[in-house]
Amino acid sequence: MGNGTWRISRSRSGARLPLVVVAVLAVALILIGKAQSSLFDRARTNVVDWMKPALVATSATAQAVDKWLGSIGDIFVVYQENLRLKQENARLRKWQNTAMVLNSRLKRYQLLLNAAPDPALSTVVAEVIGRASHPFLQTMILDAGKQNGVKPGQAVVDQRGMIGRIYLTGERTSWVILLTDLNSRVPVSIEPNTDQAIMAGDNSPEPVIETLARGVQLHEGDQVVTSGDGDILPPGIPIGVVVVDGSTYRVALFADQTTAQDVEILDYKQPLEHPPSVTEQELPATAAGLPPATAPQPQNRAVPPVLPPPQPIYKPATAPQGTSNPDAGADNDVPDTGNQ
Amino acid sequence: MDRTGSILGGRYLANAIPVVCALLGVLLTNLPFSFFGNWFPSPMYALMPVYFWCLVRPDLMSPGWAFLIGVAHDVISGEPPGLWAASFVAAYAVIDSQRDAFAGLSGWGAILGFATGALIACTTHYIIFSLYHWQLMPVSGSIKEFAVTSLLYVPAAFLLGWLHRRLVGPLRSEY
Repeated sequence: MGNGTWRISRSRSGARLPLVVVAVLAVALILIGKAQSSLFDRARTNVVDWMKPALVATSATAQAVDKWLGSIGDIFVVYQENLRLKQENARLRKWQNTAMVLNSRLKRYQLLLNAAPDPALSTVVAEVIGRASHPFLQTMILDAGKQNGVKPGQAVVDQRGMIGRIYLTGERTSWVILLTDLNSRVPVSIEPNTDQAIMAGDNSPEPVIETLARGVQLHEGDQVVTSGDGDILPPGIPIGVVVVDGSTYRVALFADQTTAQDVEILDYKQPLEHPPSVTEQELPATAAGLPPATAPQPQNRAVPPVLPPPQPIYKPATAPQGTSNPDAGADNDVPDTGNQ
Repeated sequence: MDRTGSILGGRYLANAIPVVCALLGVLLTNLPFSFFGNWFPSPMYALMPVYFWCLVRPDLMSPGWAFLIGVAHDVISGEPPGLWAASFVAAYAVIDSQRDAFAGLSGWGAILGFATGALIACTTHYIIFSLYHWQLMPVSGSIKEFAVTSLLYVPAAFLLGWLHRRLVGPLRSEY
């Protein structure tokens, strides 16, 4: 605007050659980046680590302003909100009792079945200090990094369900790739039939269910949880429910990625599976009613048993004339069938 | 001698202002929260100084600087390397080739001129990103980004013009 208010340099900038050079450089950079996607990862984490105090400060300020602005509107609906919360609280208390009963029953069944207990999960609580707001990028920045034991691949959840996975860690910060991001692929299991599939983000609010077995029919409202395939994510983390979108299935996520502030990073370690020891009753010989085999004693093996030489089954009546190999006929143990 | 030194220092500062403004724009774009909530993506603030000084003083905003600003955008945004660098270079090439036409615009014409540059950058980014992932991306995000960037150039142009008149011009003893 107002470009004519100052003198504009009319001389040609002579930018033709540099333009070609930088264009070639940009294309080369894209190709190198495609070949080695982690090219800038170290620089990114260093920059974000360095900016962490500023990010925390700006994030806190933005949240405070957001809360203040939100509270103005809340004044007018506080009564209705209070009634709604009371009703919800009563419903949740009922569900809490049900959950406690079911939990104790589950523990009893596990004891009866001698089932292996679920692997213990240690968690790191982190605060969201950043959200990328770009057309093709759905990421978050958390204020916990390698110093807190955060590692790439770990699941990030809020109180409602899974949000994403850690894909880059700095010393004090880490980046989360959200489930809705284009590059997100998560192995999932769809209840109640535990159908296995891959949930893929496509930058829309509801990720797509891909690579579902042929012929499997899903229904609106089926619950989607992590399957635990690949031993990176723990199984059973709630993700969302199935939504039918024409001929494709999508997932309406439980977690709200846009408002989550405090999240948990799950450190999942798949326990080593030891095969159960075999009891004597399970040995095949014992099961067949035979006495168990005894181990051979070394001192009794002074002379190995010698088998008698095998008797020839068939011997030709006359050796062929002019045979150079005298053993040729001896090796032939095929009986004469008279069909020659 | 002191006067020569101050003149040289002033020139260096004047040379640095456009690039510093663009780098600040990169940081502003990649702030962890959006001023527009989740309705719109962050605008391409870095493109505004690139466009402005590419028209007004191309010697202060060379193609190399446009490329490096794009690389900085790539590093901080977390996108694959080279995407924004190529987008900024493409926009720069179009602006530079049509400089005489764009430089004569004023008022809403100047906004439309910038919108053309933003459109080139967004389109290039969209095409490269689609090729990079070998699938067509949703266009809505790019359209929103283009729209919000173009609208925000109105206040930004006043700020950049003020910086140019008050700082860049006097420091270089010309404007």
